[in-house]
Amino acid sequence: MRAEELKGHLDAMLLAALEGGPQHGYAVIEALRQSTGGRLDLPTGTIYPALRRLEQAGLITGSWSVVAGRRRREYRLTPAGDRALSGGRADWQDFSAMVTAALEGRPCPSPA
Amino acid sequence: MPEPRLISSYLAVLAAQLPASIVEELADGLTETHRSYLRQGLAPDLAARSAVAEFGEPQVIVAGFARVNPARRAARRLLGIGPAVGACWIAVLLTSRSWAVPLPARVLAGATLAAVIALLATSALGRRYRLAARTGAAGFLGIIALDASLIASVALAGVPLTWVLAVAMAASAARIGYAARSLRPALAG
Repeated sequence: MRAEELKGHLDAMLLAALEGGPQHGYAVIEALRQSTGGRLDLPTGTIYPALRRLEQAGLITGSWSVVAGRRRREYRLTPAGDRALSGGRADWQDFSAMVTAALEGRPCPSPA
Repeated sequence: MPEPRLISSYLAVLAAQLPASIVEELADGLTETHRSYLRQGLAPDLAARSAVAEFGEPQVIVAGFARVNPARRAARRLLGIGPAVGACWIAVLLTSRSWAVPLPARVLAGATLAAVIALLATSALGRRYRLAARTGAAGFLGIIALDASLIASVALAGVPLTWVLAVAMAASAARIGYAARSLRPALAG
């Protein structure tokens, strides 16, 4: 899956990757790869600005630690991020149902 | 384990354009990516090439961080609220007869304002992280100086407090606070 196909959904995917607990950037990317069966084809480096953007929006919070002599930044969901993830999931289910209905030529189910 | 030269060079390109804290985070991720390829059995050089390729073009990463540069965002906000604050002070100037600003001071204030707008616009539109941060920081200092001068000027002139003046002073005080809060992250860049 290419970056342009992910527009609008990457934020929710990043939040979902952090739902299980704090993760550093590389672990977030690995979690996304595993959850998408390796189909996610994003330059790894582009995830880091997205994490900073989510942090500035107050959806995640970052903190530094030292691991094997290297400084490492870990991110965790904030309560606002938790709510945004729930909203993102609901939006995706509505969007997905609408597109599926249109592509398969059947009536779109009412939003939940 | 020594860092392969390819990874050092890649990080050096990023370090020339991004703050140290961001480069540290990227270096950690790149090192983890490299180690992951080594664990898969790749030779060190091939693992380094694969890690760098997976990370993507440095300019794409730099552009991504430039878009989330806090100085750039603050510069945009200050440019956005500038006309409203300016209109408040013009209203004070038009309604207050006891606030006589000498011509040289008006010229100096106008020149400073033009310079501040140019600095903030450079920061707001900048695609280079450091340039956006530095021009933003200079613009924030200029805003603080301008607003502080306006408040000091009406106080020294003994301009009677009207609701128009109160609104203008409150707007300037709020803008000073926002510009001051934006300075630290901008200076860190």
